[in-house]
Amino acid sequence: MSTTSTEEEKTSHESGETLLEVNDLKTYYEDGGLLSSNPVKAVDGVSFSIERGETLGLVGESGCGKSTLGRTLMRLEEATAGEVKLDGTDITTLSGADLKQFRNDVQMVFQDPDSSLNERMTVGEIIREPLDVHDWKTPKERRQRVRELLETVGLQEEHYYRYPHQFSGGQRQRIGIARALALEPEFIILDEPVSALDVSVQAKILNLLEDLQNEFGLTYLFIAHDLAVVKHICDRVAVMYLGNIMEIGPADEMFESPANPYTHALLSSIPEPNPTAERDRITLRGTPPSPRDPPAGCPFSTRCPVKIRPEQYRTLDDDLWERIEVFREVLRERSRAEPSLSDRVRDLLGRETHQAGMDETLTELFGGLDVPADVMDHLREAADYAENDDEDAARTYLREEFGSICDRERPDQLGVGDRGRLSLCHRHDEEYEEPATVFETLVQ
Amino acid sequence: MVLLGVELGAILQVVGAIAGVVVNLLPGDPGAAAVSSLQESLKGIPTLVSRDFIPNQGYWDGSQWVGTFLGLSPAAAWAVRVTVVYAYAFAVLGWLWNGYNRYRRYYRRVDWTPRDDVVNRFRGHTWGQFGLIITITFVVMAVFAPALGPTTMEENILQPYDYEVSYWDDESQSVQTVLVGEANLGSGSQGAGDENVAPMTYDDFGRFHPFGTATNGKDLFTQVVFGARISLTIATVAMGIAGIIGLSLAMLTAYYKGLADLAIVLASDSIQALPVIMVLILMLVIFQNTWVRELYDGAVLIILIFSLVYWPFIWRSIRGPAFQVSEQDWIDAAKSFGQTPGQVMRKHMAPYVFSYMLIYASLSLGGIIISVAGLSYLGLGITAPTPEWGRLIADGQQYVASPSWHISLLPGVLITLVVTGLNAFGDGIRDAIDPQADTGDEAAATGGGA
Ligand code: SF4
Repeated sequence: MSTTSTEEEKTSHESGETLLEVNDLKTYYEDGGLLSSNPVKAVDGVSFSIERGETLGLVGESGCGKSTLGRTLMRLEEATAGEVKLDGTDITTLSGADLKQFRNDVQMVFQDPDSSLNERMTVGEIIREPLDVHDWKTPKERRQRVRELLETVGLQEEHYYRYPHQFSGGQRQRIGIARALALEPEFIILDEPVSALDVSVQAKILNLLEDLQNEFGLTYLFIAHDLAVVKHICDRVAVMYLGNIMEIGPADEMFESPANPYTHALLSSIPEPNPTAERDRITLRGTPPSPRDPPAGCPFSTRCPVKIRPEQYRTLDDDLWERIEVFREVLRERSRAEPSLSDRVRDLLGRETHQAGMDETLTELFGGLDVPADVMDHLREAADYAENDDEDAARTYLREEFGSICDRERPDQLGVGDRGRLSLCHRHDEEYEEPATVFETLVQ
Repeated sequence: MVLLGVELGAILQVVGAIAGVVVNLLPGDPGAAAVSSLQESLKGIPTLVSRDFIPNQGYWDGSQWVGTFLGLSPAAAWAVRVTVVYAYAFAVLGWLWNGYNRYRRYYRRVDWTPRDDVVNRFRGHTWGQFGLIITITFVVMAVFAPALGPTTMEENILQPYDYEVSYWDDESQSVQTVLVGEANLGSGSQGAGDENVAPMTYDDFGRFHPFGTATNGKDLFTQVVFGARISLTIATVAMGIAGIIGLSLAMLTAYYKGLADLAIVLASDSIQALPVIMVLILMLVIFQNTWVRELYDGAVLIILIFSLVYWPFIWRSIRGPAFQVSEQDWIDAAKSFGQTPGQVMRKHMAPYVFSYMLIYASLSLGGIIISVAGLSYLGLGITAPTPEWGRLIADGQQYVASPSWHISLLPGVLITLVVTGLNAFGDGIRDAIDPQADTGDEAAATGGGA
């Protein structure tokens, strides 16, 4: 690989210096037209920092807001609130020449190599474009730089005059990487750079990214939807759920002993390379709630397997408790769903719409279980509300009765261990048992 | 005044220059002669391909033809000239095509581009090629109108009383001269046997009429070729303006989305809700006696109205593709390194939408040509005496069932042929661009108009 001497000098980065600092960043969208007042809270108050030369992994299921976070850092989306400081400058308010300078320092590699390269341009033109935009040196030097970049990312000079169509997915991704490198940025956001590629190619691209990082002293934000990929390349990992960072900390430590219940669940979904190792799969019930209407307390409270129970229900049978949570989930789903056409018709005809459904639901959920009378009363009460098409009242009722601190209060990021790990969970409070302990009892 | 569209002039400059080069490459005399005519032609390019070089207006002096090319009969001389004009035009195009192929094979640094595939697919599309040939024929007819007519606009149609024609008078057995205007009076086609000059015949004054004469004795073919010029100019300029408006708006709405889009949707919907032909008629009547109406025999007004009425159709038909391309990651990539919105639209969006616009435009050109003819037919379009196909049809209508059927029928057939050709061409481009494209419904549905 060819490099210039200035690039080599950069390699010796001083670690420990903060490059990027994000404080309580929020990105909300209004995408439901002009009338909707309830924005999608894609990123809902996120704080973290990245050190120079570091790789921070950002993982989460699709729809958790990780891509939006990346795009907000890139200024492709406007932040609703909070600040993003790059080298001490808040970039959310930049404009004009400052914004252009910022575009020089931060680049992005996109997920889909089919869509990220304009297929009507030659590879040379594609990689050159950032240089042209920023008037980098002379056109001749630009062409020379593009040739060097092609070699840097493992392609050949003669690919300059080819079109993206003539390349494989992995090669296209290399072109995208070359384009991101063109302006010698300090910080690169990698938005799932390998998830669209074959497994065999993934490793090669990951190696390339690591080599480039060492060579040019780059700082990465590596967005991914599974932890397995992140494991190899990241120094630290942030786990995102419903617009929040649930846990952030050193990668090795987090993989060894996850602190946050959500991280537990996410890790258990990685196929275990060693089948004899016992780690039970935790299957999460239901789907994440709508980001338009996130839970009032902990973002994970609707699905958390180790959610804190109110005092009086601590001793309740685990299965029954689980069913109660499922019942709440059912109600939530129902209030989210528009009434179906047949429901409306039945409504107009004066027939019962939900009632039959509610009774059935109760029987189905609690039929085979031994339900204490007082619990059953509460459930019936809630079912009554739902029968009258007032799911919200039913939900409130259940929340008051069966809800705990997890439903009511948004947890803080609490420190775990001594290497700066933070986890968003009430259970790290002294008052409660640690998630890990509870998981152990659950598994037995 | 004859409408000499600016853009046609420009095309001609190019065509003329290239023609000169080609002729230079040919061995022998015709080359030299043509090149000298090229020198003059920089002033009067449309007459370049040799009215003077291959004259067909002569007279019979009792023993031979005088004043015609090589002493041929006027009909033969005219045929030679038409052949030469078309041979010229197709030779030039063939030469350009060959040049493109050579460039592609030997000189271009890129050995494959996405556009190559489009070209290759079009090569295998017979229907589209048929359309292309018809279209070229029509364009050549418009461009070389002055050289194609057996007589000139000036002499035969605009100022017939300023010119004379010599002819062989059978009775006196001598060559007589007569004013063109008077000759015209004696050679009109009015349906009756002796009041008719049929296609491919001579009139009493020894003048050859490939398409016969009109009711007033003026040469029909001359009017048809100049009519082609007017129709083509109106259609392309109007489509060009509408295309520029439509494309720019599509770029803006796809890039900024939201309110910009909503505003344009409202504007275009209101325009599209208007019945096109009604608007045209209304506007033409309103402007009947104003100076705008006078500009280029009314063509400018027609062009303006058509562009205003057609841009929403264009915008509508490319809005979808524009939105699709605006969702591509490469747009975000360009924004992320600070590309300006204008450049993003131009480099990263417009090329993907342009081809769709081309399809739509070629399909709508026919519609405009028909509409213009329709308006002239109603007496609202291009003002007389500037020839227009629709008016020719109207003039000859009452004689359709008589020996003078040619006055209406020939222009009518030509319109049908041209519109079919343009549609075929549009189909060809569509299939070439997007082999899987399922429909062109939206575009094809508006091909009509009058
Ligand atoms: S705060 Fe409660 S609901 Fe949230 S992760 Fe911790 S235990 Fe689960």
